[in-house]
Amino acid sequence: MERDCIDDCVTLCRSCDLVVTKRALPSGVRALCPRCHTALYDTPYCSINGMLALCITALIFFTPANFLPILELHFLGSVRTATIAEGAIAVAHQGYWIVGISVMLTAVIAPGVLILSILSQILIIKYRLHSPFFRDVLKRLLKYQDILSQLTMLEIYLISILVSVFNLSDFADIFLGMGTFCFSMLFIVTLFLQREYNLEHMWSMLDE
Amino acid sequence: MSNIDENAQGKEMGLTTCPSCNKLNEQKQTHCTRCDSPLMVRDTTSLQKSWALLITAAILLIPANIYPITMLTDRGRIRHDTIFTGITHLVQSDMFPIAIILFTASILVPLLKIVGLTIYLTAISFRLPISKKMLMVGFHIIEWIGRWSMLDLFVISITVALVNMGQLLDAKPAPAATAFALVILLTQMAAKVLDTRLLWDRLESKDDKNRSTKSR
Repeated sequence: MERDCIDDCVTLCRSCDLVVTKRALPSGVRALCPRCHTALYDTPYCSINGMLALCITALIFFTPANFLPILELHFLGSVRTATIAEGAIAVAHQGYWIVGISVMLTAVIAPGVLILSILSQILIIKYRLHSPFFRDVLKRLLKYQDILSQLTMLEIYLISILVSVFNLSDFADIFLGMGTFCFSMLFIVTLFLQREYNLEHMWSMLDE
Repeated sequence: MSNIDENAQGKEMGLTTCPSCNKLNEQKQTHCTRCDSPLMVRDTTSLQKSWALLITAAILLIPANIYPITMLTDRGRIRHDTIFTGITHLVQSDMFPIAIILFTASILVPLLKIVGLTIYLTAISFRLPISKKMLMVGFHIIEWIGRWSMLDLFVISITVALVNMGQLLDAKPAPAATAFALVILLTQMAAKVLDTRLLWDRLESKDDKNRSTKSR
């Protein structure tokens, strides 16, 4: 009896290895480890269709957010614009390629890959693609999910746009454009997507 | 399941969690039954790795702060700004909120992270009598705020891309930028690589017993 039951009613805290007996939780509540207060589990609620909608919206905003200028600078009659990627490339061109790569990775590549990864996970689950190939793909995507969401730093980029506006308004006139709007929307949609997403729940889909 | 000890560690029960998918596995398995990641009851080498990354980051924090991080040409005059002088310029031009944001993100957070992680690692390595609960709360904070240091690098990249008008107005990154980027990268990795379960195995002190959760 012990071994069968142990999977369902017991969990280990991932930071302190305490054995915790699982209890049913009301929705919106998260169980914390009684010893070290690490989040253990919450009620696995994630609506696949809702996430699919958010994913598609995020994809729609992704292209303009990255290809339209996020800031426009007017200085003595000349107009300069910059997209996120241009910023990263400009820094890399000056020889600071570590900075360039980290900006590119955290502000462009990681968010894009994150959205595509969640989208393919949803499609695999929604259309019940149970062939070994798709199961393998799902498994791989889920493994990298954690690191991808840590690398996604849209919120920090948004604040740095604001900081830059104040910084530069000393020298020149700064204008926000359509790109800034799309980027903010991308940030909001991704925020909700990440809130809705539950890795534990996605793993349990693989078990079924 | 009433026979489970209130404060048992998974290690004592022959159980372990998968580091990547969090599934409960038996210790005799070498790979997770769900995601095939290698299983380790405790990653003892993580302490060394974490120390190595942290010390490198601490050394790099010095060039990151004393060398200039940006070079600004304003009508022929060249101005080198370190992280700190950049912030004092903001204070002088009465942009306090921005100055506070930048100060927190680029000075306070990296420094607190390095000091915090040092305390954390020394506590594990030398079994210091510090409350484990406090250490763990600190660790969660460190993990969460660490990424905010990227703010400064983003600001530099936007500025460099926008402001390039030769002698009139021109911004360029300066050597500290790379050092600063590496500090962020290495401290994030130092926190990521550490197996925090080691803290709860190793640290035994009088005021903070391993088995004291029943009290509340």
